[in-house]
This record gives sequence, C-alpha cells and structure tokens, in this order.
Amino acid sequence: MGVLAEFLKGLAVTGKTMIRTIFGDGLVTTQYPKEKRQKPQRFHGRHVLNRYPDGMEKCIGCELCAGVCPAKCIYVRGEDNDPDNPTSPGERYGYVYEINMLRCIFCGLCVEACPTEAITMTTLFEFSTTSRNDAIYTRETLLMDEKGNVPHMFPEDPLIEPKELLTADGWVRATAPAGMAAYEGVQMWQRTAGPADWSPEPSQDEIDATTGKSEDGDG
Amino acid sequence: MTSGQPEFVTITIDGREHQVLSGEMLITAAEDSGTYIPRFCWHPRMTPVGMCRVCIVEVDTGRGPALIPACMNPVSDGMVVATQSDVTKKAQEAVLEFLLANHPLDCPVCDKGGECPLQDQALSHGPGESRFVEIKRNYEKPIPISDLVLLDRERCILCDRCTRFSREISGDPLIEFFDRGNKTQVNTFPDHPFASYFSGNTVQLCPVGALTAGPYRFRARPWDLLKVVSSSLFDTAHPRIEVHASQNEIVRYTGVDNDATNHGWLSDKARFGFEYIHSEDRLGAPLVRRKGVYEATDWAEAIDVAADRLGLIRDESGGDALAVIGGAHGTNEDAYALSKFARVALGTNNVDCRLGDSLSSHFLAGTVDRATIGQLDDADTILVWGPDLKEEHPTLYLRVRRAAQELGAELVVVHPRATGLDDVAFRKLTYRPGEGFDLVQALDDGRYPDVIEALDADNVVALIGIASHADGPHVAEAVAALVRARRGRSDLLPLNSRANTYGALDMGLAPDLLPGRVGVSQEGVGRLRDHWGEVPSVPGRDTAGILEGLISGEIRGLLLVGADPVRDFPIPALAEEALEAAEWVVAIDLFITDSTRHAEVILPAETFTEKEGTVTNVEGRVQKLNNIRPGPGQTRPDWAMLDDLAHRIGAPLGLSSAEAISKEISTVAPAYVGVSWDLLEWEARDGVVVPLEGESQLAHIPVAVATDGKRENGLSLHVARTMYDDGVRLRHSPSLSRLALGPVVLVNPLDATALDAVPGDSLRLVTVSGEGRFEMVVDEGTPAGTVYVPFNQPGATALGIDSAVEAEVADA
Amino acid sequence: MSTPLVVTKRMTEYPSDSHTIARYEATGGYEQAKRALGMTRDELVGEVKTSELLGRGGAAFPAGVKWGFLAPERPAYLVVNADESEPGTFKDRQLLERDPHQMIEGMIITAIANEAHLAFIYIRGEYPKPARRTQRAIEEAYQNGYLGRGIFGSDYDLDIVVHLGAGAYICGEETALINSLEGERGEPRLKPPYFPAAKGLYMKPTIVNNVETMSNIPHILEMGGEAYRDLVIALDTGTYMISLSGHVKRPGNYELPHTLSWRELIYDIGGGIRDDKELKAWIPGGASAPWFVPDEHLDLIVAKEACALAGSMLGSGAVVVMDEDTCMVRAAERIVRFFSHESCGQCTPCREGTTWMEMILRRIDEGAGRPVDLDLLIDVSDGISVGLQWPPKMTTICPLGPSAVSPIIALRDYFRDEVQRHVDLGGCPFELKSGETRARAPSSLAGAGPEVRGGSTGSIPSDRESAGEGSS
Repeated sequence: MGVLAEFLKGLAVTGKTMIRTIFGDGLVTTQYPKEKRQKPQRFHGRHVLNRYPDGMEKCIGCELCAGVCPAKCIYVRGEDNDPDNPTSPGERYGYVYEINMLRCIFCGLCVEACPTEAITMTTLFEFSTTSRNDAIYTRETLLMDEKGNVPHMFPEDPLIEPKELLTADGWVRATAPAGMAAYEGVQMWQRTAGPADWSPEPSQDEIDATTGKSEDGDG
Repeated sequence: MTSGQPEFVTITIDGREHQVLSGEMLITAAEDSGTYIPRFCWHPRMTPVGMCRVCIVEVDTGRGPALIPACMNPVSDGMVVATQSDVTKKAQEAVLEFLLANHPLDCPVCDKGGECPLQDQALSHGPGESRFVEIKRNYEKPIPISDLVLLDRERCILCDRCTRFSREISGDPLIEFFDRGNKTQVNTFPDHPFASYFSGNTVQLCPVGALTAGPYRFRARPWDLLKVVSSSLFDTAHPRIEVHASQNEIVRYTGVDNDATNHGWLSDKARFGFEYIHSEDRLGAPLVRRKGVYEATDWAEAIDVAADRLGLIRDESGGDALAVIGGAHGTNEDAYALSKFARVALGTNNVDCRLGDSLSSHFLAGTVDRATIGQLDDADTILVWGPDLKEEHPTLYLRVRRAAQELGAELVVVHPRATGLDDVAFRKLTYRPGEGFDLVQALDDGRYPDVIEALDADNVVALIGIASHADGPHVAEAVAALVRARRGRSDLLPLNSRANTYGALDMGLAPDLLPGRVGVSQEGVGRLRDHWGEVPSVPGRDTAGILEGLISGEIRGLLLVGADPVRDFPIPALAEEALEAAEWVVAIDLFITDSTRHAEVILPAETFTEKEGTVTNVEGRVQKLNNIRPGPGQTRPDWAMLDDLAHRIGAPLGLSSAEAISKEISTVAPAYVGVSWDLLEWEARDGVVVPLEGESQLAHIPVAVATDGKRENGLSLHVARTMYDDGVRLRHSPSLSRLALGPVVLVNPLDATALDAVPGDSLRLVTVSGEGRFEMVVDEGTPAGTVYVPFNQPGATALGIDSAVEAEVADA
Repeated sequence: MSTPLVVTKRMTEYPSDSHTIARYEATGGYEQAKRALGMTRDELVGEVKTSELLGRGGAAFPAGVKWGFLAPERPAYLVVNADESEPGTFKDRQLLERDPHQMIEGMIITAIANEAHLAFIYIRGEYPKPARRTQRAIEEAYQNGYLGRGIFGSDYDLDIVVHLGAGAYICGEETALINSLEGERGEPRLKPPYFPAAKGLYMKPTIVNNVETMSNIPHILEMGGEAYRDLVIALDTGTYMISLSGHVKRPGNYELPHTLSWRELIYDIGGGIRDDKELKAWIPGGASAPWFVPDEHLDLIVAKEACALAGSMLGSGAVVVMDEDTCMVRAAERIVRFFSHESCGQCTPCREGTTWMEMILRRIDEGAGRPVDLDLLIDVSDGISVGLQWPPKMTTICPLGPSAVSPIIALRDYFRDEVQRHVDLGGCPFELKSGETRARAPSSLAGAGPEVRGGSTGSIPSDRESAGEGSS
C-alpha cells in the first residue's frame, strides 16, 4: 500500500513535467548548446591573464600560482622587463605562462595566491580540444588583449557567446591580502603592483542586503 | 682557557638549565640548546657586530634583567635568559617592524622570496601587521655593482654582512656604507666596481634580496628547485656546493658550510660556472668524421669506428703506439675506468692526466707528509711558494688569508709578482721567473734570516706549486726539500690547478702510477694481476713525451679525454703539430675544442651534475658528487663508453656501474681501502682524507736538484694562470667568459717608460716558442724586469715556457 | 648668593685676555702641571677620586673612577671630547675660547696620571673660533716647553693633536668619537667589550673626558681633592656649568653650585620667562633628557640624583626653557628630527625608528594626524627604548636612539591633550590661534632617493616632496 503510494507520488512528478513540457512553456531540459543557463557569479571557468588599464600586463612572473597549484599544472618563468619598453610594472614579467587544462582542477588557488590579481577565472567552460597539446594554454591564449577581450581558441565556434569573452574579470579573490577579516574588501595593493582598477568584491553581508537572497543556490 | 679541556657553564634559558661551552656566544649556545634567537647580521663565520638588534634578549647576569644582543655577549655562569618575556618580544617585534618599515615588500619579484630570512623571521618573530603608513625610502633599483652582482638598496636592511665579508674574509673591501641615518646605504666607491673574485658570496650571505646574482636573476623560485650536494671542480680544493636545478636546468650553485674545505665560501668561478652545462654547443650525440665533416651517429657505430682502429693499431704496433691524455676533469670512477682501459685494453702506460705544467706525479700523489687544509688553522708559519692562490686556488686563498689575518700564522709568500695575499704576509719575496732555484739557494745560505726563522717554527705548512711556467717542476721540489730540512714539523701541500688531477693521479692516470698511489713496477703490476691481468710494467711517456711520440710517428693513436692540449699545454704549437700528425684520435669531451677537432670520433661526455662519483681534492679528501639532471641527448658517463670500447677491442673491463667501480677501487687501490659511497653519503658527508688507514705505498721524498738558473739580462717573461681564462668550460659560460682579461701584458711603469710605451699600446712579445701582440697594462705589482702575460686568454697567442722575451711597441 | 667660581673665575675676572698664556701664567697657571710631574699615578688618580668630580660630558660618571679603570696595556691615549653637539649646550665653547690653557693644563695632568704621551682634542667642526684659540694656546704651550719632548724640562713627552670633527652629533659619543679619530665611520662601538678605558683608540686603553672635566682638574690639584669636594656642600661636588637658553630673560652660561632648585635657576638666575609668560616645560639636560614640567619638578634640586629620581638627567647642563605658547608637538618634532638626522644608521631601531617618529610627529603637526597616532608614536618609541623609562632599557647600540624618545615621554605624561587637540583641529592650535604660519624647516627625510613616488595610503601633504628650500 505504502509502496504504491510512494510510486504514484513519484510518477506524479513525471506526469506534471510531461504535461508542462507538452502544453506549457516551461521546458525543464535546458536545450544546451542552443540555450545557456545563467552561470553562478563565482563560477570557476578557464583562466585569463589580466592587464592594467594602460595595457601593461599584471603578471610579474612570480610563480606563486605555480607554487600553490595542487595539480601542478602551471608553469611560469620570469624575465627582466626591458626598462624602456616594460611589459609589466616593476622589474619582472612572466614571459612563459602555461596551464595544462587537462590537469587543472579549477580550485582557484592560483587566483587566491596571485599578488597582483593577474590571473583570474572567467565563466567560460567550453574548451574541449582534439589534441592534448591544445589543452596546454600558453601565454598567448591566456592573456587578454588590450581592449580586455579574452582570446579563445575557436572564437568562431557557434557555442561561444562573444559577450562572455568580454567578462574576463569574472571574479577576484575573496580573501584580503592581509588575510584578516577586518581587511575584507579593502584594496591594499600599492604602486608595486600597479593600481587595480576594479572595486573589490562586496562582502557577503552586502550581497545579502542588496539581493535579499542567499548567494548559495541550492542550500 | 688555560687548558685544552673545554669548560662548561650553566645558563638558564626560558626556565630550563643548560650546560654550555664557556666563552660561546649566547646566540649559538641557545641554538645548540634548542632555542632559536632570530638574527640577521650575525654570521657564524664572521665577527659579530650587533647591528641589526633583532637578537636582543632579556638577560639577567645578577644585576637585574637587561636587554643585550645575543650575538655579542658570551655566556657566563648563572646567566638567566628570557627569550619569550614581554620585554624581549616587544624588542624583537619592534626591530622587525622597523626593518620592514622601509622594506619595499616586493617579495613576488624578489629572487630571495621563498628563502628569505627576513620573510621567515618576520613570520616567526614579527608583529604580523605593519603600522607604517608613510612614504617608503626610494632608490634606483637594481644597480649592477659588478658584472655578476646587482644591488637593490631599497631591500637592504644594512646588516653589514656583505661589507664585512669583503673586509674580513675576501680582503677586497670594495663595498661600504655611505651616508648616514635613514639614508645609510651600501654602495661601491665611484668608478670602482665590486670586482672581487668572491663577490657571489655576498649574494648568498645577504639576508634579504638586496644583493642578487645576475646569472640567477629571475631564473627560478626557491620552491621549484631541486637541490643536491656536490663539489665544485673549478677549484682543486673541491669546495662543497649545493647544485640547484629547476626543470632539469642548473640555475645556481650555493656554498655549503663545512669545516673541512671552504667554510661555505665560493669563488665566483666556482659559483657561477654552470652555464656551460646548458651551452648550445654541447655535444649531444657521438660524432664521426666522414669526408672531413663530422656527422652525428649512434653509439654502436661510433664505438665500432673508434675501437676498431685503436685495436688495429694495438695489434699492428703494440700498446706503445697508443696513448691517453686527460681524465682530470672526470670523477675518480671515470679516471679508474680510463686507467684500466689504457693498461688492459690498449696495453700501454702512455697515460697522463697532466698537461705539462704540473709538478711530478710522485710529488703530487705521493707526498707522505701531505698537509690537510684544516692544518692551516693551527700553523705557526705558512709558506706559499707557487701560484697566486687568489687566481688559481681561491678556497686555499681564503683559508690562508684567515689563518694569517685572524689566527696569527706568519705568512711567507714567494711569487714573481704581487699576489692577493701580500697584504697579510709577514714577508713577501719576489724573484725573476726562471730564477726560482737561485732564491732557494739564497734562503738555504741564510740570506733571509727572518724567513728561515719563521720556517723553523714548530708547525709549518708549505703550499708549493709552480709559480711561473718558466720555473718547471724542479724548483718546487727544491723548496719542499728546503722546508722539510728545517727544524720543526712541516707539512706540504703540493699544488695543481686542474679539476680532479689528484683523484686522477690516485687512479693511476700518470705514466708511472697505478691506482691507489702505487708506482709502475713489477711489484705494483703483480699486485693488480688478479684484477687487471697482464699489464705493462715499464713507465710510459708523459704528455710532452706523448706529443713528441705523435710527431715522430712512434705513437699512432691517441685518446683525448676532456683535455685540450692545444690551448692548455704550455707550448701549444707542439700540441697542435702532434695532433695534426696523429694517425687516429678519439676524443671524449663536452665540446668540439681546438684539440678535439683533430679527432676522428668524438664521444659526448657528461658533466659532474649528470653523473655520480667521487673526487679527490688537493689534500687527498675524497668527496661524493651527486647527479641532479640527465645528460642532454645521448651523452653517457665516461666509464660506460670506455667499457664499450674495450669490449669492442676485445679486452672487456667488466665495469657495470659507477658504484661497482668504486667498490673495485677500494679493493684494487691501496690508498682507497675503506672508502665507499655509503661512507661518503652517510657518515662522512664532507669527505674523508685518504688513506684512511695504513701508510701510502708511494713515499715521495723531494730532493733539491740543482738547475742552472738562467739569468736573463733583458726582460723575463712570467706566465701564470688567472681565475678567468679561455678554458673550455669558461668559454661556454657567457657570464664568466667576458671577465677574462684578454690578450694583455702587465708591465712595470719603469719598463713601460724604457719601452717608450703608454697604457693601451700594443706590445709585440717574441720568445723562442712564439710571438704575439698584447695590449700593455701598466702595473705596479709586476717588478721591473719582469713582464706578466696571463696564460690562455681569449685571443692571446701562447709564448711557451722559456723566460727570455723581447718586447717592443708594435706598429699600429 | 655667593657662588664660588672655579672654571670661569679667570674669564670673569679678566674678560679681555683670559685666553692668553701671559694671563694664564700670571694667575698661577701651569703650576699644577709641574707639580703633577712629581706625583705618581696612584696619587693623582686618588686625588681626583677623592674630589668626587663627576664627568661633565653628560653621563656624569666619576672621573677618578674612570681613570682607575684604565687597562695596564700601554701605550694609553687621552682624548678630550670637545664635540659639543648637544642642542642647547654651549659651555665648552666658552671654556675653549676664553680659557684654553686651563683645559690644556688639565690635559697635561690627566695625561701624566694616565701615562699617556699622546693626547687628542676632538673639536666639533662648527667651532672654528674655539678651535683657533685652542690651537694657538697649544702652540704657545709648545713654545714654552710645556708640551712636546721633555715637558717642563722633565723626561716626560706629551703631544697634543687638535682634530676637527665633520659635523656628526654621534661623534660626541665616546666610542664613535674614537672611530672618527681613527678615520672610520663615526659609529659607536659596542660596550662591552669596547669600553675605551680597556680598548679605545687603536684598540689601546684610552681616557675620554669632556672639556669641562679637564678644566676642573688643575683646580682639584690646586685645592686638593678634599677641599674641592667640600667647596660647596651640596648633593654633587664642585660647581657646574649650566647653559641656560630658551624663553628666559637672561640666557647664557652660568657656573653654579648644585644647591639651587629649578625655580631659582629659571626665575632668579634666568630672570624669569620672557614677556612674563607662564612656564610650560623645560629640558633639564640637553636635547636627550626627558622634559620637566612646572607642576611636578620646579622645586627639585639641580643635581644628578634628584634628576635621575624624577626620570631625567642633568646631562650636558643645557637647560632649554619653553613658555606657554610653545607647541609641544612641534618642539618634540624638532628634537626628534634632530636625532633622526644625526642617527648614524648603524643599528635598526634608531635608524628606522627615529625617522618613523619624525614622520608621525610631522604629520600631527601638519594637521594630518590620526587618532591612533599618539599611541602609535608611543609604541614606536617603546620599540627603541622599551618601557620608555630613563635611564633607558634600550634596543639600540648607543643612547642616541633612546634620546630621541625623551620628548615622547613628556607628550605621553603631560601633553596628551595637546596632541589630541592637534588631531581634532587638524592643525596646530597655536598656529590657528595666532593666525601665523611658521616656516617649516625641511625634513631630514627629503631627498632620501632620486625620486619620491607617491601612492602610499598615508595622507602626507604634497609639500613634503618639495621640502628642500630653507635650512635647518
């Protein structure tokens, strides 16, 4: 008896969804890739190397991302900046920057470790390739252009929404440089790293106040 | 301190009592007792200065607690130390906050970041947050203060380590503090770069990233380095180093502090001499000459081509028609394999690892009263008669300097011109090159009573080598005989400047030596019969003899192992002619050199970072080398190639691995009994001095043999090596090769006036062996009547060993 | 009151020619030096010990005891410290200018007592006239055979060398002075082990004494140690040169006994405060001494012990009086700036700490102070001189760093409200009151590097960077 009730209860969900699909407008299955879902704000997608507004690269080749990477998928090499034509502010820039996306676990620790917010994560996740070599993203593929566009291996691909390529600075790190709660949201970086031109991510409280929602989707 | 017995006192550190050595500084006593007191300026090998103030602790010696620097205050009985008290913590945190106040905190781009004492101690002893909100000090960054070292004054915490090092240890105080107060900065004097042979040590000493090394700049971060302890072969004292590699690439060497040899210091050559390992010119595959052009091939073919002809010559003309030159740049294991290859496979004693500019093999290998480097510290008198230690033996230079400057030894230096040790020498004698024996005679006749009195001290250590090419090996023997005849105990250190010569000689790479310091004789050969079978028992030819044999045709085939006689032999023309005349030359080398380009087959060798093995230094200390990276391409260790060659020739050597060879050495070579890799890797990491037990089989007693000192009425030519020359490895290390002097001749101002030449003029020098043009440098350190030509400089012609020289201003 | 004059007697009685050798000899000069030649080292040292003469350089260490510490190694040297660089002090200058022979005779006696055959006078480079007069006096002494080979016809040789400093305050510290004499950087040596009496000039035993101390020596010999000690019945023996300056009506040098109170000194000797204003504070013993305020200290006796108990010192005898209109923040900033400028840069707390203090004080003075700044200032000072006491528990090598802290002690204890007012008002209340803007001296920090890059979170007004005109 009880079993049958449970069975019917379950079947009711199927029935309801079927009716809604046939007669209503609420398709339950998202028709990916024709349709795309809104991605969460802190979605960990592929990485991008950022620039300052004046076009200088933010990466200083310090290898902290490579050091912290639990999958050991980042390879960085620093080089002296040409004083007359510097690539990044300061003495050093990253002249080799490679991420093996096959190994990457998208934990975002590289973003946390970066002292200049040079590496951030976008919301892009469609980057399947047909060869292992193509999965190793080099500096050329990671570095945004001077206008802030993210290079993509297949920009003509119908799957790619051009506007997503413009939202490179999807998020910056959550923790304060000093690591203390009192400094959360306070931009502490000074000249050595150059001015960060975006405002810091609002704290948890502020998000709650403005949207009235918990940030976490499914609790 | 009256008796030799150590006295102990009781001190209390943080409530726990410890027995510590009386007279020890509190900072070391505490560390030995398990309490770490932070420090920046303090360094165990230098005088404490108490400048950084971070080691300040609260100490009560009975007069109430007071803040004192732990690095300046020796322990006393009943001392109560509080390293965790509020006052101590307040003081230490304050000092760290002060140090960081003006520190630029550019750790992400700083080479020191990750291994920085300031980072580490700010974390362990610092306040955590800086409250400094003012504008920081700004300086131009970084400024190159020498060809190898860069200075960033913003990062400097003014600990006086680098300046103290150059003042106290290396003896060339070229960097100093300038200005005062908050603007105090370290800098070089205007127009005087930090051109010290030891400048790299300041980089390692610097507790922040203020001094960084050009060759390492931005090459890697400390956390992605693989490290392995090894010994440098750029210095025959074999200073201990740590080889650091990132992604299979050697990025730097650092000095390893050890009492036996280098105290952690390295010459710049030993510290920065790694670029050749990654040189694009390095051989990665065996080369065989076909129709006059080298072609890369595989090992099987190369071994076949090389060995077949060697075997043919042996069969046709006997072993005496074959010869081996070289082997001093490899490990003892490789040298043993070569020695065995020559005797067993080639059947010859025509083997020499020296290149005609060395003391006799018996003197180098068989000195019974050989001194150790450590004995320098206890010596009453030190005699240096030979090369300028600063140029050729930097580790010994630092040890002798320390002994003379800090430990009160009386130093006598004899050299044809000024040397780096003159300022600490109690007596300096100069002589004209080629007339060394006259000076020995004069000393013996009592013409220098103060020197003789010093040599009559209880404890004499004599470092004896060939001061000038014109001297030849006999003067050194006469000096040794003179020293040994004096009253007190004397120990000799015969000097030779090529990588692992001592190890190679101990392995028998000399025409009159067999492995383990045994002379070539019926008896010596008989002892080896079980392992080597029948080998020739008559001494063969040395390098000069081999070259002559090649010219005359008596020797048809030659194996060159890491040797470049065309550049390195004192009479290069002879070497060139000999190699030209040779019928069949096989070379084992890293590069195609002026010598190996005469070879029909060149086999690519490995550097010491790519293979394991042992080496033996100037005092007979055996140390272990460790590999850290694979060799490029198809390179192989020497022993493996030799084993293959021997196999093809038909006289297998039975070598299976370097460690197996080392075991064979300890069985075959009497002086090496008891030396094993296990011993060197675990119990004796700084190495052991051989023989471990018993007496050496070889007992060389130096005898003074009268030579006719040639008295030159004109100018005498002094030829000696400098630290940076045109050696194969240096030539392929760009950072160091540009430091070579080039074709120069150093002339006393009086002689320059007599020649009517001004600095920068081109002088034409003519000797019996050659002539060449050299840029004249006026030099007070070179005595009148002597002209000094550094040996083997890039672009310079060699002038041979004869001291007679004619000089004139060359036409433009 | 009848004050016995000792070292200034001759210059007071014969103001026109007291510096000449004729006048000096006519008033009994060089008699004691001759007498000293016949005395043993023990007798001489004993005499000075009995006199209980305190060193007049600032530390007030008994001179005889110091002489007694001289290590037995020879040669020994005598160095007279005439590097009078403590702000507010100008007594040695007068002694050198007006009575150089008195000091030279004192040096001869001291050299005999300490078996030194070579003596140095280290005169600060900013004292050209005293140096000239001293040099002339020495030449006169040589001509008369009082110096050189066989002085006074005996077999005792003594040479005196005048050395001019190059303008570093720290060279008034005895070990820094010795370094400077040796041609090294003027940086203090660590004590222990480098007590000059054990390892001084050229690592040989050295006696370093002040000009005033030297000038007292002939009188001690003349009167006898006991008589000198009993000359004035007071806490400390002998007389004392006070350099009175600041907002008093009659500033100047006074030779005084140790019987006066501060009230008598400021109001009777100094004639009271200029324009009859109220007394706000005074520095009792040179810029390195913690300040005194009228409410607590006016009736203390001007003597070593009394000052020490009140947490300060008599130091070099420089009294700087400040009236009610003096801005304490600016006064403190001026003193800290002096020490920051004069720091030798050898040890961290002094090099970095004094500069930092100067920056904070300057910011408060300029109106950019933050509420936390006073506590920060006190805590920074605490890092140089733990606990902010006097005598200090210092983290530095020499007392220069803790000296810079002394005005902060006063700010903490007596003028906290005034600092707070600066912060609250966003500027100096005295300046706002009078409406005038006083010219600011350039900071010692300006020009620390080729360029001053901005961008720090600090709120330092931009005129910091252009500071450079004017002079201090």
